[in-house]
Formats: sequence, C-alpha cells, structure tokens
Amino acid sequence: MEKQYWKGVEELQNDAEFVRLKNNEFFEHLPVDEVMSNKASSTDNTSRRDFLKFMGFSVAAASLAACQAPVKKAIPYVIKPEELTLGVPNYYASTYFDGSDYCSVLVKTREGRPIKIEGNELSSFSKGGTSARVQASVLGLYDSARLKGPLANKKVSTWASVDGEIKKKLAEVSASGKKIVILSSSVSSPSTKKVMTDFTAKYPTTKQVVYDAVSSYGLLKGNELSFGKFSIPGYRFDKADVIVSFGADFLVNWLSPIEISRQYAATRKLRGGKKNMSRHIQFETMLSLTGSNADNRYKIRASEQSAAVAALYNKIASLSGGVAVNAPSIPADKTIDSVAQELWNAKGKALVVSGSNDPNEQVLVNAINSMLGSYGNTINADQPYLIRASNDEAVASLITELNNGEVGAVIIYNANPGYSMPALQAAINKAGVKISFADREDETSAVCDYICPDSHYLESWSDAEPIKGVFSLGQPTIENLFDTRQAQSSLLTWAEAANTDFHTYIEEYWKANMFSQQSGMSSFEAFWNKSLQDGIFEINVNAGAVVAFTGNIQDAAAKTQQPKPGVELVLYTKTGLGDGNQANNPWLQELPDPVSKVCWDNYFAVLPAYAKKMGYVQGTVIEVKAGDFKIKGPVLLQPGMTDETLAIALGYGRTKVGKAGNNVGVNVYPFVSVENGAMKYYATGVSVTKTPDDLYELATTQTHHTMMGREIVKETTLAEWLVKPNSGNAQLTIASPYGKKKPGELDLWATEKNPGHPKTNHFWNMSIDLNACIGCGACVVACTAENNVPVVGKDEIGRSREMHWIRIDRYYSSDTTKENAEAKKLGKLSMYAEMEKPAADNPEVVFQPVMCQHCNHAPCETVCPVVATTHSMEGLNMMAYNRCVGTRYCANNCPYKVRRFNWFRYNENEQFPYNQYDNLGKMVLNPDVVVRSRGVMEKCTMCIQRIQYGKLDAKKAGRRPIDGEIKTACAQSCPTNAIIFGDSLDKESEIVKANADPRSYSLLEELDTQPSVYYHTKVRNKVSEKKEA
Amino acid sequence: MSAAKKFIYGIFNDDEMVLNAIPQLRAQGLNVKDVVSPFPIHGIDEVLGLKRTRISICCFIYGMTGSCLAMLMIWYMNIFDWPMDIGGKPSFAFYKNLPAYVPIIFESTVLCAAHGMVITFYLRSKLLPGVEPVILDPRQADDHFVMTVQVKEGQSSEAIKGMFMQAGAVETKG
Amino acid sequence: MQKESNLRPPLILGDKTWHSITEDVCRPIEGKANKWWWLAFSFSLAAFIWWLIVVSYTVGTGLGVWGLNKTVGWAWDITNFVWWVGIGHAGTLISAILLLFRQKWRLSINRSAEAMTIFAVICAASFIVAHMGRPWVAYWPLPLANQFGSLWVNFNSPLVWDVFAISTYFSVSLVFWYTGLIPDFAVVRDRAKTKARKFWYTILSFGWTGTAKNWQRFEEVSLVLAGISTPLVLSVHSVVSMDFATSVVPGWHTTIFPPYFVAGAIFSGFAMVQTLLIITRKVLGLEEYITVYHIDMMNRVILITGSIVGVAYITEFFIAWYSGVEYEQYAFINRATGPYWWAYWSMMTCNVITPQLFWSKRLRESIFATFIISIFVNVGMWFERFVIIVTSLHRDYIPSSWTMYHPTWVEIGIFIGSLGLFFTCFLLFTRFFPVIAMSELKTIIKSSGEKSKKAQVLKSKEVHS
Repeated sequence: MEKQYWKGVEELQNDAEFVRLKNNEFFEHLPVDEVMSNKASSTDNTSRRDFLKFMGFSVAAASLAACQAPVKKAIPYVIKPEELTLGVPNYYASTYFDGSDYCSVLVKTREGRPIKIEGNELSSFSKGGTSARVQASVLGLYDSARLKGPLANKKVSTWASVDGEIKKKLAEVSASGKKIVILSSSVSSPSTKKVMTDFTAKYPTTKQVVYDAVSSYGLLKGNELSFGKFSIPGYRFDKADVIVSFGADFLVNWLSPIEISRQYAATRKLRGGKKNMSRHIQFETMLSLTGSNADNRYKIRASEQSAAVAALYNKIASLSGGVAVNAPSIPADKTIDSVAQELWNAKGKALVVSGSNDPNEQVLVNAINSMLGSYGNTINADQPYLIRASNDEAVASLITELNNGEVGAVIIYNANPGYSMPALQAAINKAGVKISFADREDETSAVCDYICPDSHYLESWSDAEPIKGVFSLGQPTIENLFDTRQAQSSLLTWAEAANTDFHTYIEEYWKANMFSQQSGMSSFEAFWNKSLQDGIFEINVNAGAVVAFTGNIQDAAAKTQQPKPGVELVLYTKTGLGDGNQANNPWLQELPDPVSKVCWDNYFAVLPAYAKKMGYVQGTVIEVKAGDFKIKGPVLLQPGMTDETLAIALGYGRTKVGKAGNNVGVNVYPFVSVENGAMKYYATGVSVTKTPDDLYELATTQTHHTMMGREIVKETTLAEWLVKPNSGNAQLTIASPYGKKKPGELDLWATEKNPGHPKTNHFWNMSIDLNACIGCGACVVACTAENNVPVVGKDEIGRSREMHWIRIDRYYSSDTTKENAEAKKLGKLSMYAEMEKPAADNPEVVFQPVMCQHCNHAPCETVCPVVATTHSMEGLNMMAYNRCVGTRYCANNCPYKVRRFNWFRYNENEQFPYNQYDNLGKMVLNPDVVVRSRGVMEKCTMCIQRIQYGKLDAKKAGRRPIDGEIKTACAQSCPTNAIIFGDSLDKESEIVKANADPRSYSLLEELDTQPSVYYHTKVRNKVSEKKEA
Repeated sequence: MSAAKKFIYGIFNDDEMVLNAIPQLRAQGLNVKDVVSPFPIHGIDEVLGLKRTRISICCFIYGMTGSCLAMLMIWYMNIFDWPMDIGGKPSFAFYKNLPAYVPIIFESTVLCAAHGMVITFYLRSKLLPGVEPVILDPRQADDHFVMTVQVKEGQSSEAIKGMFMQAGAVETKG
Repeated sequence: MQKESNLRPPLILGDKTWHSITEDVCRPIEGKANKWWWLAFSFSLAAFIWWLIVVSYTVGTGLGVWGLNKTVGWAWDITNFVWWVGIGHAGTLISAILLLFRQKWRLSINRSAEAMTIFAVICAASFIVAHMGRPWVAYWPLPLANQFGSLWVNFNSPLVWDVFAISTYFSVSLVFWYTGLIPDFAVVRDRAKTKARKFWYTILSFGWTGTAKNWQRFEEVSLVLAGISTPLVLSVHSVVSMDFATSVVPGWHTTIFPPYFVAGAIFSGFAMVQTLLIITRKVLGLEEYITVYHIDMMNRVILITGSIVGVAYITEFFIAWYSGVEYEQYAFINRATGPYWWAYWSMMTCNVITPQLFWSKRLRESIFATFIISIFVNVGMWFERFVIIVTSLHRDYIPSSWTMYHPTWVEIGIFIGSLGLFFTCFLLFTRFFPVIAMSELKTIIKSSGEKSKKAQVLKSKEVHS
C-alpha cells in the first residue's frame, strides 16, 4: 500500500478541531485586532506597557497613511511606495490658512510623517517666509486632544449615522423655513466658498456669517465707506519711504504679517549698495513688536488714537488744501505736526495704517492715504486682500435672529464663540441644531449636538486666494490619522452633491476657473500638476489705478472714538498664540513673547511708573473690571506702556483645548465690546483693584533688560552710517608686540609657517542682519521643530532652564549711559545701579538672535574633560551627547550662555505632559536628530544634519554645494531673511560678501573666541540725526 | 655553624644606656646583632654600623619614571593616537601644548615616587598584612629596648647576662 | 638624643613617661566610649544616612532637583567640593611642611590632622561625582579609551588635572598616614588583651617589630614623603583654583588664584583642625598632649594665612580696577554690591576681620575664643567659594542671560549629609586608631617633656651657682 507520512500525532488522528485550525495561517489566535482597534489607540492615559504597542502602531500607521494604504493594519511595507525612500525627506507644497494667517508652505515628510513646515519660495506672497504660528502648526497634527471620530450628542458615532441624522434635521429646518447659519471665520478658499453656495442651493435658507475672534471689520467697512468696496486693499510696504502706523502691529499680527514683514524688511536692509531705508513711525498705546522696531515711537492713549489720526488728517489736509475736520486736541499734536510734514514730503511714497477696528477711523486713514497719493503707489486697491471677511454687523444681527428663534440650525466652521464671544455662544445655544467641525471638543463644540471633526490641514485638500490673483493649493501630506473628514466633504455630503470628494471637487473647480486664466499650458493635467507641485498659481494684476476717495469725512470724524479720562485697557494678540486657536501647542506656549519675554501666561502689562504709583510690583494680582466683566490677573512691569493703561493678550485662558493649553493665563475676550457695530479691542473707564493674593510667578526667559553699556548690540543711525560705513562698529584692536592687531589676528600658536588647524573643504559661517531682524521668533519655533528641542514648561522656565537653542535677546535702552553718567554726577556704583533700569517711559528696543557662536577658539571645548565637545574641520563646534558626562563646565565657560543642560529626562517624564512627548506627539520628532537624554549638554549645531544632507546631495551630483542650497532651520524660517548661512571658503557666496560689510562684527570680539557667527550693526533712521545730516 | 643559633636578649629601659652599652659590650667581644626599640633611637645606626638606606634613590628613580610615563601617555593620547581640534589648541604639537600638560606630569611624578618608595619600604622591611611579628618582649613597643646578642662559640650565656646587667640592662632573657 | 633650649615651653605637660604616653593614647581604643562620643556618633550617623538618601534621590531623578540653571551651572556642589578639599590641606601640610621645618609641636596633632585630611578629601570627591549629570559614567574622565575606540580624555581640561591631583593627593596622604600608624598599631597589638583586637591589630601593624634597620628606613621614608608631599599639597589647591583661573568667566579668570587658594586652604584647614581638636582633647582627655601652646601655634598660622587671604581679596579688586576691563570691573562691583552682597560681606567679616583678633595673645590662648573664631573661619571660607562661583556666574558677559540662583532643600541636604559622612569617619577614627603619633612623640619627651624640662632647668641652675 502507499506510504503515508504524518507530522505529529494530531495529524495522524486528524480530529475535527485540528483540521479547522490547520487551515489558519497562525495556528493560535493572534491578538492583532485588539491591539490595533481604534478604541485601544484612542485611550489617552495608556499604561507603560501599551506605549510600545501604540508607538509601533502610530509610526506604522502614519507611514502607511502617506502611501495611501489602509491605516488600521500594522504591517511593514510589502511594496514600498515609489516616491518614498527611507531616510530621504519628501517635500509637498501646501497651504496654511487658519482663518487669520495665510502662508504658502512646503511640508517636509520623513517616512510619510510630516515633521517640519518650510516656507514656499515660489510664492510671490510669502516668498519662503514663515511665522512662529505656521512653524508650530505641524505639531497640531499630532495633538492627542483631537477627536478620533464624529460625535453625536457627545457619544462616539459613525459618519453614516451622523450624516443621516444631520441631513434629516437640516431638511426639517429648511422645510420649516427657519435659517441654517454657517458660522465661520474668514474663508479665503474659492472652492470652499463654492461648496457653501452648493450647500445653500440645497438648503435655500442657508446664510453664511463670518465671525473672526480678532475682527478686521473696521478695515473692511472703512474701505466700503471710503470707496464703496467691502474689501481691504493691498498694502505695499516695500514701496513706502515713510510708514506711519497707529497701533497696527503689522509685523506679527495685523492683516498679513509674513508678507508685510518681508516687504518692510526690504526697505530696512542696507546691503548690496542700498543706501536708503524707510522711516517707520509708530503711534501706539502698548509696546508692540512693531513699535519696538520703529525708528520713532510715540505713546498715545488708546482712546486718543482716533483723535491722533484726525489731527494728522487735519495737518495733511492743510498742506494739501483739503477740508479740515474737528478733532479734539491731544498731547501728541506737536509730534503729529512734524510727522505730517514728513509724510507730506514723502508724498506718493508714504503709507499710513491703523490697527483700529473702528470703521470711521479707517475712513480718516484712507482719506489721509489718498491725500498722500498712496493709492496706486503704496496701496494697490485692485489687488485686495481676500483673507479677511470679518462681518461684525452680520454677527450682531445673527445674535438677534438666534434670540428671536429665527435660526433652526447653526453649523460652526473654524470658529469658537464659546471661548471668544460669550454673547454669541449664549445665542447659539438657543438654536435647534448645533453642528461643529471642530477638531476637538472645545468650548463651543462641547455644547453642540454633532461634532463632525474636520481633518488637520496637513491631511486635507485646500486652496486659497490670499490676495487677488494669487492662488495656492493645499494637498494632504498624510492620510487621516483618525476617522475625521474635511468640513467641505461633510457639507457636500449633506448637500447630497454628486461628488463629495473634495480632492476632485477642487480639481474640477480649478479646471473651470483657474485653468482658463492662464495661457502657458494647454492641458489641464499639466497645469494642475504644476500648480500642485509649486503649491501656487499666480496671475498678473495691474499695479492698481488711483481710486477716488468718496467717503464722508466729516461724518466719520464725528463718529470716531473720543479721548476719555481714566484707566484704559488694551486687548492685543501675541506673536505666539494669536487669537488662541493653537493654544494647545506647547511650542507656541513656550515661545517667549518677543517683547516681555514671558512664556505660558498672559498678564496685565503696565508702565513701571504707574505700577509704582498704584503700589504694584511684578506679579501683583489685580482685579480689572470693564463693562460688566471683571477678572483677576498678574501685573507685568512693561516699559513703554502708556500711563494709566493696562494691556493684556487675547488667546489665553482656554478651558477645553487640551493638556498643554487648558487654563494657561486668563480669557479676556469678554472684555471685547461692540460699539457702533464694530468690535472694540480696548476699554475705557476701567476700574482696577489690588487683590490680597500672594505674588504670581511669571515665567520669563530674560530677567535683565538692559545692555549695561556693553557693546552687545551695536547701533548707529542712518545719518551717521551714510557718513561713516562702520559707525557704531569701532574696530577694536589689541596692542601687541606686532603692533595694534585685531583680536582675531593674534594667536598664541598659529604662525605664518604653521597656521594651526587647517580650514579645508568648507568653513560654515552665519551672518545676522540686526536691521532686518524684527524679533518675531519664527526661528525659535523652527529650531524647536527641526532639532527636537524639548518643551520644559512654565516651572522650568521660571527656574531659567529653557532649552531653546536659539534665543532672541531683547534689550531696552537705559536713560543712563557711560557717557552721560559724568554729567549726571553718578559714581561708578550708582551708574551701574542706574544702568540696570530700562528707560521706563519710552525705551528704544533692540533684538538680537543668539545661538551657539561656533567659536573657533571655543572656551567650552578646552574645558571639557572627556572631549565631548570639539571643533570640526568645517568650523562647527560639535557636541557628542553620548560622550558627555554632564559637568556643565562648558556652559559655565561659555561667554554667550548658549549651552543647554538636560536637567531631567524631559522626553519621558510625567512631570512634562506635553504633546511632543505623548505617544502620538513623538511622531513629530526629526529622525535625523538625536533626542537627548538626561544629564547631557546640548546646543545649536548649525543644523549639522542639514549640512550633511546638502553635502551628500552635492556629492551625488558631483559638485560643491551651491551657495544658499544649505540653509539652517532658523535661516530658512526667517520671514525677513535676516539670517544668512553659507560657506566662507566659497569666495562668491553671500556670506563672504556679508562678512566683508563694514557693519559686520562678532559678539564679544575682544575675548578672541573667534566666532563663526557675525552680526550687522543695527541702523536706525532717527529724525533728530536726519535734521543734522 | 651550629644548627641552632643561640641568642641572648638584654632588656633596657633607657635609650641613652642602649647607646652606651653597645660599644661597651662589643669591646667585651659580644656580637651585638640588633636593637628593637619603641621609637627610633637617633644615632643608633652609626653605633650599630648600619649602612645608609638607599630608599630615597629608589624614590627619585620612581619619580622620573612617573614623569616619563605621563608625558608618553599624553603625547600618545592627545597628539598621536587621536589629535583633535579642541578650542583651537595646538593638539598637533606636544611641545606647543606643553604648559597645559605640566600639572599632570607633576602629579604623576609624585604619585609614582611616593607609592613606589613606600611599597619598596614595605617589601624590604617585610611589612605586609598578616606577617607574624617576632615579639621578644611585650614591652618592646611600649617603653623597653631589647638588645639581641648572638652567642659565639665558647661564650657562656651567664657571662653575657652578667655583662648586660653591668651595661645597665634591667633584665635579660634567653 | 636631641637637645633643645630650656627657655622653650614644654610640649607635653604633666609627669609623663614613655609608658604613660602609651597608656594615655591607648585608653580610648581599649576602654569604652563615653556618652558624649555616642551622642556625637549617633548624630553623625543619622546625617550620613540622610546623605545616602538625598544623593540617591538626586542621581535617580536628575540634577533638576537642584537649583542650578542655564547661567549658574555650578553652585553648592562645587562650593562644597572646594571647601572640603581646602579643609583637607591642613593634615598633610602639618605633617609634611612642619616636619621639614622640624616643628616638634606638630607631633601631638599631625595624626588626627592627617585623618581629617583623608576624610575631607573623601567628602570632596563625593561632590565631584554627585555634581555630574551622569554619575554612572563618572570614570570617563580617567585616561581610558571609550568603549567604541580610542577616544581619550582632554588633557587641556583643568577637570582632568583635578582628577589626577585629587587622586594623587588622596592616595599619597593615605599612604603617608598609614605608614606613620604602623608602629603605633604595633603598640596596641602588643598590649592587646582580647583575641579579636590581637588579630585585627596584627593585620593592621603589618608585622612591625621596630628593629634598628626598620626604624632607619621608617625615618628616611617619612622624611622623603614629607619632601614630596610639600609640593604636592601646594599643587592640589593650585590645580583646583585653575578650574576657575583658566576659564574666561570674569571673577574666575584671575592669575593670583593658585597662591590665594592655597593660603585659603591652609587657613580653613587649620581652622577645622582647631574645631576638631578642641573637642577631641576634651572628650579623650588629651589636654596634656594638645596644649594651649599647640593651639596658640595654630592660631598664629591662621592669623598669617588669614591675612594673606585678605590681601588676595583686596588685590583682586585692585586688579579689576587697574585692568580697566568692563566685565571684570562689573563682576567685582556686583560681588560687593549686587544681589549677593550678603554672601560677600559675610565672607569678608569671617575671613578677614575675625582672624585679626588673634593679634592678641589672650585670645590666641583662650580655648573658647579659638573655638568660636575657628567656626567663623570655616563659615567664611565656605562663603568665599560660594561668592567666587555663584556671583561670578550669575552675571557674566551677556546681560540677557543674567539670572539668580536659589538652592533647593536637596542641595542643602547633601551638604549637611556630607558633614555627617565626615564626622562619622572621624569619630570611628578616634575609637579605633591611636589619635596621637605616640612612637614619634616618645622621641621628644626627654627634650620637651615638662618633667625633663624642670630637671634640666634645675641642673643648669646648679651649674651657674
């Protein structure tokens, strides 16, 4: 008979159970599904044991997401997506728009994970610039506070059921004739606007209301009153010689900061033979970043601003023979006269802007600009901004409608009235159906019936038209991490559109609308691919004709705010948090305010003199009451504030945003009042009471505010500079046996014959133009993202232990200088005591980014016992983390204090519960940079990983790196290109030219540390010197 | 020589007497071997005719070895094996960087000199943990001095003891 | 047999014979400890255990539990390190330099001073390790190749000099001390009544008998060791001072640091010897060996070194002014008038003013005054290091990084704990080791003992009459 072989007794016996199991791939059951199930991965407080599972899952999921594979199965690449090479980043052009800031960006992805945002240099609008908020936005993708799927009445649900219910309800509402309101922040996406019209077509009672927490209604309405168009004209700061701003913080907050700061810096730079720079005059109430950059800054009371504008109008009118309006007289009148004269002299090259949200004030400003002939020159009315559509009137009327029960359903898109406008929220709560697209259960969506979480912008298709004629596209750089859906798709689904996929929708829209506007490409395919690849599509718009001012100036003047007595309160937005929509982003929370240098808090900033008068000190807790809202907050002594004025930032005090952002600071939105239809961001007649609470600790990264008469930031004035190119930068020499020598030329060992350590191949240098640096802090966040810099939180900052590799030092001028100490009859002791005090009233402010100076005679290297920090052949000061034993001797011996020590194991310590460290957040880490362990020193590496990558690229191409090809994270993120990085051995490079500039100097040169980082003297265009010149 | 050497011990209670006794006893033809004392008796080495110890010469040699070792080590580690640019310091030349190396060269000299000498001392004097001491008299480390005399052929121990007592010994053993 | 002038006061009081010296010195070892010893010991032991706890806490959690920050990278840790090393200078100095100068009064105190040295250096070393970010790799500063290949240490770094200096100093002092102990152990051994004592002291005494040859070598070795320990002891604190002197930090970068630190070290060392011996002589009843004369002698050293230190302080200020360097000048003005003025002025009071009181013989010879002032000096010298380290660091070159330093309970705890470690060791020493170098002391009893002095005086009188 035939032989039979059997493996194992079971097979011989062949019992049923065995036969069944035999056919499974795995004989025993594997718990894969349990581990990978949505539920498990969404649990927030996970056990240490689960952690690894989830890490494994998250990484795999994220990676696979990028190659469009099903997310929920953790399997290795079977077939590697061809566009993806392990270890090599892919860049995708995309678009950032959060309802206020716009930026055209490149998204850097590694193994499919978006890990870094870069500016898109192809965009004529942002020209590769970014801002702190844009840089930080990538961390938002990995925010564990995001919803993992749709919620119906707070319960986890499925899209199918949610859609079903919502459609039913919407149908009922529209049937009942009640309104369906889409309440959103400004929308700049043309196709999204189309989506809304489609939606309206389906539900005719739909109406869209645009509500911006920080409104630009004043500008829009003002222009409507002046020119009949409800739009904001395009401002051209780069064309202006004289810029006068009334409280407009245009460098970091107002309108379109990234674009404007670039234009502004262009007029300030003095490189490449450029001899003229713009003059910037700022009238403001609180010391803003823009004000700190001004050549002359004048303080006015918040309620005086309109009057000041009116006064300026009258003066200009008298010069141009226009009609005068009646303006109350204010202390600043005299200065305004001289300013008006300057503006008039710069007719056609002047620009006046105002940050006020009062339409009538904006009318006056427009009138001034048209008298100065700015239209067609510094203002382009034909190319309006389309990133702002705030409509305060509409909001007001919406509230009434809601209260009258005329509204059946509210769909909230990218707005959070529950946090920023209690009145509106109260009304919304009355609506029958409340639907939110919020990505988390925030203050508003928490009370909504349905939350249909919108995908993160890095997971979404989008387009935008920030300014007329400039279009940009956004594409997903990763598959949805969670069961989220783009708001647009949701709307289309509810509108029962044929095509609910927003990708194809946009494509069709562009085919229909954009394709036709160009002639370069014949096939849409080609056009689409190019636009997608570039991220932008731009069409020429004519320079802008002169438009006639048709506003009723007298009426406007009459309606403007009048000066009021008493204490006033100013509400502003911070560079980091803005209106607060990214409050759960620890990178932004930890970014020091550029001016006050405080992190993780908002506070009532007051003039030190005023504080003294009222008996406040830093940290005194006061209770401030305006209207019928009152709140407690700490005091911050802020030189440059207007007397009898408090300033506090919006965007803080979120309660339902996530671990990092909850209850940080206080929410002062309720102070925002509505006056003749417009939201008002200051309050008059404020009553302040000092509370008995003990002092509040404000965490600040800079506790000393003056330069103590040291030459750290070198300064001069335009007039002097024109005469003497190295003015303010006296070349320091040391008397030596070989005569007077520059410190760098003296060397104990190197001789002509034996030059010491050779400079081969490359020698990296960096040059920072203090004229271009506006102190915005984009570089700080960029560095954090690029180099996995840990977030340490308020307590550690309070102990002066921030970890930022690059910091921006801010110094106030002091009334006492070494020079005038004699005259003031001050002894040395009292002189130093005096110099410690910033000029309390209205100090000049300078900013200086400081990172590791990569000294070629590095004090830190010499003292390290274990050679953990040494010098590279390419002039970099290197740090070997795993060799460091942590004596901290190097940090002590660093004259620039740029070394940072890991006091704790920040990345895995319950003490620091920030997004970056949880299971999901870890995916933002840059795989090219080590995550430092406890007890080792770290510091700026000049992004050595980027240098290496650039060199390898060049090597593959068989050439030297091209100048500008390799950029450090800070240099790349800078909106004003203040930072130049390059190879000083490449004689043609920008850096060599920059270092040859007579303004170039190195910090603490006399120590002969021979830094590789250079600075360029700051030049101010001050009026007094102007007269002399 | 006879298999069992015979020794007589004279016990004194004053160092000066010991010093005087030795020449006196030698004159009387006794073979004075050694003196065990609770503290060093100055001048006894001349009287006993001990050679000067050469331990300080060893010390010098050890010291020189130490400095050479240090220089060799530093040269090998910082200049030869893995020279690095450390703060622009001339790690490419030993002599240029020498000032920075002086402290360690000095310390290493002292280290080797001191330990070398002490170890030599212990070994030559057979001083090591666990060595069983020869205790001729329990008071020898306290306040008494024990003089050892080897008995020659034909010397009667009684006579020797007698001489001891004359020389001022308080008692005798053996 | 040495002779000395009759006019010199006796170094040992009372009717002492060689035997009574043996008795007196062995008494604490052979007898039972009194209640004062037990009290002191239990306190020290408690503090020592506390030290173990706080150090483990620091190592386990991270240096973040200390008050250090980005600007002030060293504070209490290195302050304590330098303070202990300083204290550790008296012992070797007394036995080495005073031996070379043939100062016989050293003989009553050198043993305990050397013991103090060794324990102090142990405490100092503990701070070197504890202040590291990663103490578990504390051996990396030794000249060993790293595990991946031949990455060596940086011989330019003063910290590596420290490693060599401290370890050399510790081991050489230990050997010096132990060699001196051997004959005395032999005494205890020969008197031992109990088996255990016999056994242990036989091991400790290395089989010493005291033959003429051994004594000859012994004396040679002591002399040569003294000869090489003298430059060593001077080098150690010079090297420690170079941790600061070779840096660029204003207030640290000072060329007078080596001599100034050495003087300071001797100053604080002698102060600590005073503090300890004034108690020890009482508790162990050694008043006749450690006499007012000894105390007076040490007070003179304190007075001299204290004045040197004072001059150094003033010189620093003069140089700062004379150099005309902005940073240097500010550093010193900030020391005296800045936020840490109180530290600076406590240093000045304790180190410069109080020792000057010793110009008065009455105070020099008053045991109480000496004790108080010695405490002042210890405190003052601690503040000196704190002032140098913290006030220089907290405001250096770039004002934006200026900040303040506040210690945490952990740092304070570790310091208190290290005192516990020190006193635990010292108290055990007084119980089990001969606290006075008896065999050496016996050599001088004839020349400097009170009894023999009287005898000599009488004899000389007879001669004259």
